[in-house]
Amino acid sequence: MTEAKIINLVEESEPNFSDELKEMGIDVKKLRACIKCSACASVCQMALAGLEFYSNKIVHAAILGLREMFLDDPSSSVWGCQSCNRCVEICPMDVKPFEIVMAIRRICIREYAFPPSVIDGLRNYYTMGHAVIVKGYEKRREKVGLSPIPPTLIGNEKMRKKFQEILKNTVFAEIAPFPLD
Amino acid sequence: MKIGLFLGCNIPLRRPDIEYSIRYMLEKLDIEVIDLDGTGCCPAFGTMPSVDLVGWCVGGAWNLSIAEEKGVDIITGCGSCYGSLNESRYHMEKHPEIKEKVNEILGKVGMKYEGKVKIWNIYNYVYEVIGLKKLKNKIKYNLKGMKCGVHVGCHNLWPSRAYTSNDEDVFFPTRLREICEIIGGEAPAYGSMLDCCGMGALASLAKDKSLEIFKNKVRLMIEEINPDLCVTGCSSCLIRFDNDWAQIYKQGDINEIRPSFHIAQLLALVLGAEPEKAVGLAEGPVNEIIEKIKK
Repeated sequence: MTEAKIINLVEESEPNFSDELKEMGIDVKKLRACIKCSACASVCQMALAGLEFYSNKIVHAAILGLREMFLDDPSSSVWGCQSCNRCVEICPMDVKPFEIVMAIRRICIREYAFPPSVIDGLRNYYTMGHAVIVKGYEKRREKVGLSPIPPTLIGNEKMRKKFQEILKNTVFAEIAPFPLD
Repeated sequence: MKIGLFLGCNIPLRRPDIEYSIRYMLEKLDIEVIDLDGTGCCPAFGTMPSVDLVGWCVGGAWNLSIAEEKGVDIITGCGSCYGSLNESRYHMEKHPEIKEKVNEILGKVGMKYEGKVKIWNIYNYVYEVIGLKKLKNKIKYNLKGMKCGVHVGCHNLWPSRAYTSNDEDVFFPTRLREICEIIGGEAPAYGSMLDCCGMGALASLAKDKSLEIFKNKVRLMIEEINPDLCVTGCSSCLIRFDNDWAQIYKQGDINEIRPSFHIAQLLALVLGAEPEKAVGLAEGPVNEIIEKIKK
């Protein structure tokens, strides 16, 4: 049997964590309204998949201010969230666990604590306007009778430049995990 | 009637047969499809939404403002696009200060987001705007009583507060099943109906675990209702049900397989589309179903 982990809140809790969450768009008062009913865990697909942390555990750790735990989490649990929003739908206290997960991801990104796949997605998004680019798309499109280039940013350099311009005016310019030019 | 087709990433770049099907079925149902030139990623949840709330809304508003400029609402066949676009729209609607910041940024390239665009997925659009009666009158072929294992897709249902159109009970959805029934199929509910297919962040982070979720879901589905085919409401789910299922079946990781279709593909087929285009990139065993439909 795994030994229960004892958390020393004096040492491990980061008192300013709630301020950070607030900066990332979280209503901290609502977060603290969690009654620990675990309805969110009962529908969480991360729990179903067997990840170490999932909806209710993430909410509890956020309330306790366990900032380092999120940064050190070896299975990068917050990055496994499917963004399915079952937890938001079912929560009787409107805690919105999914939004907590996203806020924690935003904090982790600012500390460069994220799995490598995140960089590829962000880079594709910034450079080509598409997070997911699967090679050979021109041939696949022609095979099913479509023009080889879709009417999206991938085939429109002029619009892409404008798109990059607006992203450079967001916080992305300061924290992007790769050079923007 | 006109609608702006929002393509996103996976549909135009990985499974353009779904794009062909959406265009075909809408045209056959008397809807004019307007291309939204210069739109891109919704943005996907692992990109800007994970970086910054305002940045997420900037990415969403970029796409929505292109539709606004053309004076059309948006339709998408991808659940993630449907979710991300609707959620950014919702955040901007509820928080005018976010919308204001977004417009400051968009203004730098001469764009503006007002908040006029409604975002549809395929089955809600068919259900509410086109109507089941019209669909029934327009179809050339029908499903001949074949049993459909319907998989709606997470982002099509939740968070319901962000959606302007949805099933009455979002934990017991019927709309997609009703569409399968009106075109001549059977579409019973089953216990694992709402389980996630495992695509998305989990598939990138923990591929094996995400496949286990899927295998468990379809095993239970087959045991309970034994469908002839599967029908998804989302393109990412279709990639899981078709491409990934075919792969793991080939590798011997699962004993059973069922042919799977995106709802737009199934509708295109019953409306008369050429299978080589409507499902031309399928990897699963779809031919037998197509033959039955066309008989």
